[in-house]
Amino acid sequence: MYFLGVDLGSLSCDAVLLDNNGGVLASSVVPTGARNREAIARATDEVLKVAGITEDQIRATVSTGYGRDRVEKRLAAVTEITCHARGINSLFGGTQVLIDIGGQDSKAVRLDSDGQVADFAMNDKCAAGTGRFLEAMARALQVDIEELSELDTGASGGVILSSMCTVFAESEVVSLIADGVAVNEIVSGLNRAIASRIVALVRRVAPTSDGLSIAMSGGVAHNHGVVRALSQAFETKISVPPKPDTVGALGAALIAREKGIRGS
Amino acid sequence: MMLQYFQMLESRIDAKIRKTPDKPNARRKFALEIAKLGIRLYSGEHRVAWCGVVAPFDMLSAMNVTSCFVEFVGAMLAATGNVGMFLEESEHAGFGADTCGYHRAVIGAALKGLMPVPDVMIATTCPCTGGLAAMENLARMFNKELFVLDVPSSDTPESVQYLANQYKDMIRFIGSRTGESLDEGKLRKAIEKSNRARELMVEVYRLAENVPSPSNGRSLANFGIVMALFLGTDAGIQIAQAYRDEFEEMIRNGQSGVPEEKVRLLWLQNRIQFKNPLIKMLEQEYQASIVIDELNDITWEAIDTADPFTGIAKRTITMPLNGEINRRLNHVRHLSKAYKIDGAINPCHWGCRQGTGARGLIQAGLKELGIPVVNLEVDCVDTRNFAEGQLRTRLEAFMEMLQTNPSGLRD
Repeated sequence: MYFLGVDLGSLSCDAVLLDNNGGVLASSVVPTGARNREAIARATDEVLKVAGITEDQIRATVSTGYGRDRVEKRLAAVTEITCHARGINSLFGGTQVLIDIGGQDSKAVRLDSDGQVADFAMNDKCAAGTGRFLEAMARALQVDIEELSELDTGASGGVILSSMCTVFAESEVVSLIADGVAVNEIVSGLNRAIASRIVALVRRVAPTSDGLSIAMSGGVAHNHGVVRALSQAFETKISVPPKPDTVGALGAALIAREKGIRGS
Repeated sequence: MMLQYFQMLESRIDAKIRKTPDKPNARRKFALEIAKLGIRLYSGEHRVAWCGVVAPFDMLSAMNVTSCFVEFVGAMLAATGNVGMFLEESEHAGFGADTCGYHRAVIGAALKGLMPVPDVMIATTCPCTGGLAAMENLARMFNKELFVLDVPSSDTPESVQYLANQYKDMIRFIGSRTGESLDEGKLRKAIEKSNRARELMVEVYRLAENVPSPSNGRSLANFGIVMALFLGTDAGIQIAQAYRDEFEEMIRNGQSGVPEEKVRLLWLQNRIQFKNPLIKMLEQEYQASIVIDELNDITWEAIDTADPFTGIAKRTITMPLNGEINRRLNHVRHLSKAYKIDGAINPCHWGCRQGTGARGLIQAGLKELGIPVVNLEVDCVDTRNFAEGQLRTRLEAFMEMLQTNPSGLRD
């Protein structure tokens, strides 16, 4: 028996396939694009191909992400908050605070000793500090989004961005470039601004994060600069799995396995 | 537009009630009286007062003045589904788009000529300064003198007397504008009706505490705050009686507001006023019932008919939304215990500084009781800002959290 988790997010569609024992057989990340169904099919096909199985061998599928209700063959749809918590707990048992920064929202989740969601908070009203924000900043800096990850290297940390509104921050970045400010200083300022917002979000679920075990998931966790800024802000190591963008799909697959086994 | 809306509403609800005349039809009777009030406000045939939220509506009723708080109009405009044009009108006139949607909507309606010019305007300094500012704007538009009731925050004999004296001034003010004096006999009768409605509402709320509750996400929506408009009238008594009878019958028959109720929720502050799928989703997918709203409670003693001014002043001053946040917090903690709440939903209405400013304190105060709170970040009036997916995710995650990590105050 095989179990599938599908996370249809605003920027990427991720899938994780588990075997009967809960071992990860394959994972995939494809751009969501404008056609959700095609993205779901592509992400699913990729994991099936790697595992060498066919779709009819999947016992249960659980979907998550903003498009969770669009996954037609699902046994259940579960929110990304619950799925990311379940996924990170399987990777880093004992995690107490999870930071998930995705394409259009960011979340802070406090986990209890059983790895269950004890509290959560989401970004208010706008997508500042999320994947979309970083995309816009990369565009303003005329670099690839992947390049941003290390572009803060050697920065003194002297640049402070005054706005986190995506539109205003983009024009501020353009102004800084025009003023001749070094790119690494601008990127460092962006990373610290994101970290500052995330600290405020985490404080809503964990008033003091001293000594807490913190992990990060979501596509933005690929950006080492943001992780470094968060680590500095919290004065602790942030645990990041090798494939942070598939943590939600992993959690969904684990729930699919639980439900599938219980159902049989 | 508004008169036609209320007339259509009245005929539609009236027809539904006639189909099942033997049923209590509580919600429909409530909605019918709201439609009738709307018709009186907009027909041009009655003396009208636009007021602040905590004006003494039973006193105004005794003076033959049809009155309502202006936020009621904002909520009604949202319910029509056409609020956007009024919000835009107020924004074109310079009102910040991040100010309270209730006030923006009513100011937009006034600018478009859809608010009848009132006979009198009575503002209140409680519960928010935004409401007072809206009333001042409206008074300027209508070229009317504004009478402001300054509601003190502390519950002391001096404060009560201070407000009671203002009611006497208010009566003189209204009399000078309408030629109508206050008949003591009429006021006594109005207060008797207020007290009877109060008794019945106490019973309604006590019945709603039942596990499972006869109430659900729709039945008592906006009930407490709008019932204030019917105090002092027969309609107020009839509405409360219909609810009392309906809830009693449901409990007798083993019926609950949400079939197989699993989760009991407290809704903080005001409701989302336009049509949306969130309540239905909570009820159908999670058997979660909003059994009580923060604004649904009786927090005042019966009023002494021999000294109504003092009693009404005391009723106003002691309302939980007046004064320090601790009073409000103690009230929601009391409700959480009485209704055996599992979790609370705070819409955090955009633009409501007074409501969202206390968000952290309310959340922490309920957390001490083991009651988790989800903050929605929604504009309860402005349909243009309704992010359904984001709100659905917050609520669904909250339900998942309550399912895996049950908390709350059930026995």
